[in-house]
Amino acid sequence: MASLITCPHCGSRPKEEFSIRGDALPQRPAAHAPDEAWHAYVYLRDNVKGVIFEHWHHVGGCRRYLVVERDNVSHDVLSVTDAARFRRAAASGQDGVVAAGKDLA
Amino acid sequence: MSITYTHRHVLEDHITGFEARPNVNHLSVIRRPAMAVVLAHGGAESDVDLALDMIEGVSKRVCGPAEWLAVAQDRTPESLLRALTSIPGASVLDGSDGHVLMRIDGPHARKVLAKCVAVDLHPDVFPIDMSAPMLIAHVAGNLARTGENSFEIIVPRSFAGTVFEEMKEMGRDVALTAGFG
Repeated sequence: MASLITCPHCGSRPKEEFSIRGDALPQRPAAHAPDEAWHAYVYLRDNVKGVIFEHWHHVGGCRRYLVVERDNVSHDVLSVTDAARFRRAAASGQDGVVAAGKDLA
Repeated sequence: MSITYTHRHVLEDHITGFEARPNVNHLSVIRRPAMAVVLAHGGAESDVDLALDMIEGVSKRVCGPAEWLAVAQDRTPESLLRALTSIPGASVLDGSDGHVLMRIDGPHARKVLAKCVAVDLHPDVFPIDMSAPMLIAHVAGNLARTGENSFEIIVPRSFAGTVFEEMKEMGRDVALTAGFG
């Protein structure tokens, strides 16, 4: 597992300072969405081998949620973005936040 | 009927017995510092950041984006709060009793801290006046470099005992002494 994460606010930090909060890509359904949508959101998840986007909570540091793009085969960390910025960039379809933006839009 | 409250520091029980004179490597616990959490409103981040630098006798500690700890050692919490609430676009909370401030001085300060934090403290990457939130002895706190060989640690009050004991343990090989100061 990647042992050093470069937090955009704090710099290079050990993984012990973070708490991994799961896949960052699934979109939370609306409150009144049908049960099928909620079931899919809660239980049906891909178990991707390769590049994944995850929410990492920097509990031991700035306490911000980050989106870490990493490869779970080679353990390379490809990018780390503040989750708020990631979400904004994805919503506006900016190029700044790589392919995930396209997946979300 | 008036009640007189006695102020008792949370580390009072940890600093007991006879401690000789402070050695060159010394961990001092600041008895009554004034500390406040400052949060900037959206859009006012850089203004609040600059305004915090202008206040006399207050040092600014970075806690994350748009969040700081303002620390004053010669002010009362009330006077610190008065100075901070005048900054436009800032929300201020008193944290004087919720945090404990410690200072470690001495030629081996960095060596002791290297066993407590997982962050590079070389002066090139962590220069004087820099501060950052980090895990200190497994407790989320704030570390600041105040001099070539002095650092200040801020940890939540409830974890201060653990951090204090851990620092003393890590400083045993360099004869680290500890006390109020």
